Amino acid sequence: MTPGHLLPALRCEGVTKVFPGGIEALAGLGLSVPAGRFHGLLGPNGAGKTTLIRSVVGLTRPTAGEIRVFGMDAWGREAAAARRAIGYAPQEVALDRFVPVRELLELHGRYFGMSRADARERAEEMLVAFDLTQKAGAYANTLSGGMRRRLLLARALLHRPRLVILDEPTAGVDIELRLDLWEYIRALHADGTTILLTTHYLEEAEALCERVSFIRAGTIVASGTPGELRERFGAPRLEDVYLRVVGR
Amino acid sequence: MGALAEREALRVLRLWTQTIAPPVVAAALFIVVFGIALGSRIRTIEGVPYEQFIVPGLVLMGVATSAFANTATSIYQARSDGFIEDPVSSPMTASQLVLGYLTGGVLRSLLIGAATLAAARVFVSFPLERPGLLAAALVLTSLAFAALGIVVGLYSTGWDQQNFVGNLVIQPLVFLGGVFYSIDDLSRPWREMTHADPIFYMVTAARHGILGSGDVGPWLALGIAAALAAAMLGWAWTTFVRGVGIRT
Repeated sequence: MTPGHLLPALRCEGVTKVFPGGIEALAGLGLSVPAGRFHGLLGPNGAGKTTLIRSVVGLTRPTAGEIRVFGMDAWGREAAAARRAIGYAPQEVALDRFVPVRELLELHGRYFGMSRADARERAEEMLVAFDLTQKAGAYANTLSGGMRRRLLLARALLHRPRLVILDEPTAGVDIELRLDLWEYIRALHADGTTILLTTHYLEEAEALCERVSFIRAGTIVASGTPGELRERFGAPRLEDVYLRVVGR
Repeated sequence: MGALAEREALRVLRLWTQTIAPPVVAAALFIVVFGIALGSRIRTIEGVPYEQFIVPGLVLMGVATSAFANTATSIYQARSDGFIEDPVSSPMTASQLVLGYLTGGVLRSLLIGAATLAAARVFVSFPLERPGLLAAALVLTSLAFAALGIVVGLYSTGWDQQNFVGNLVIQPLVFLGGVFYSIDDLSRPWREMTHADPIFYMVTAARHGILGSGDVGPWLALGIAAALAAAMLGWAWTTFVRGVGIRT
């Protein structure tokens, strides 16, 4: 049996998703993200990034294939343990507007199996880390866009996940907040957390990711470190690789 | 599961001016207008003063409609805003999600039932012949309609569909279920048709609990209420397991 620390944080094999109407969003996709790595997933709109991520976190049921999180079947008997290991910040900022910020964080922790006391303590840590202490009693729908984005990230990290999945975390945010978020994400990775990031910003992938995978039409078409990919495709920048691999 | 149940209960209590007060005021108005003002023309039904006769049905009407409205609204709101993805992507099982959402509906409807009884007491003197039977009737009604609300909340694609079920299915069944009259006063085939209305049995069970008499025996009424609650709970659980409205 493979020891836990040697298992990949995420392994997808032959993952296929066909939506009603016959739209194939994922076409036998394979992907492996070793534990502790910072992995970028790049591709154009409609390539299947969000469908893949939603399949990993339990929101889109794959039509075929297998998804394992630290060796646990994400859609089988170990689904609950697999989900506990994942922190997910979706692309759309969707936050419960009926509970104040502190309570929103505590509830998330308890949804993910933390005790009330632990969730409360961790929520305070997250409020400080994400500079939200002043807004702890406010409701999410009264926060600015930047604060909501920070709160979304704080929520994803609250239950101390080993694999953090960030779907376009800096989409539509100003440069100052983007740099702040980069700092949070880098610090998280430095602590040993595995990160899977999707982004449209190639400079973001180049600045943050140890490895990147390009996705097109529901399959991974190239993977490697940014340096390896530049060399393999004889391209000076990751953007040039992107255009060759998934571009027109 | 406790966290989701707590979230749902707090939502009911914090929004009490929208969730608790209106149906209690409406029931009190029914008692004053129909029972006391117009009821003097009817005097008695099966030897029971009319203002007493309508109390069990009004209590049950508040329980049924509010249990349905609470879960249907809460779930559809969470789906519409997108924040339902937080509990759905957590390690909670379908049973835990059902129990969590049921809590709000059951709490709200039983509070309304108790408040309606208390408000009715202000205007009308009535006995409480079999309190255990009344409690069982109200809990089973609450469970059945809260579970139906879960199903409708998950299937709905707009507020209009919830209003359709609430106003054009549940409300007519409640009014035709013998809230304001005894089926002995109906001619054929209306009397037989009323036996096909499940709410008739719930009203009858509540009437046995308060007044000690009803159109059918108490155990038949309670048994049918229990069967309906079990069927609705099973439907809600199956709908969650299939991921209707929450998983693609």
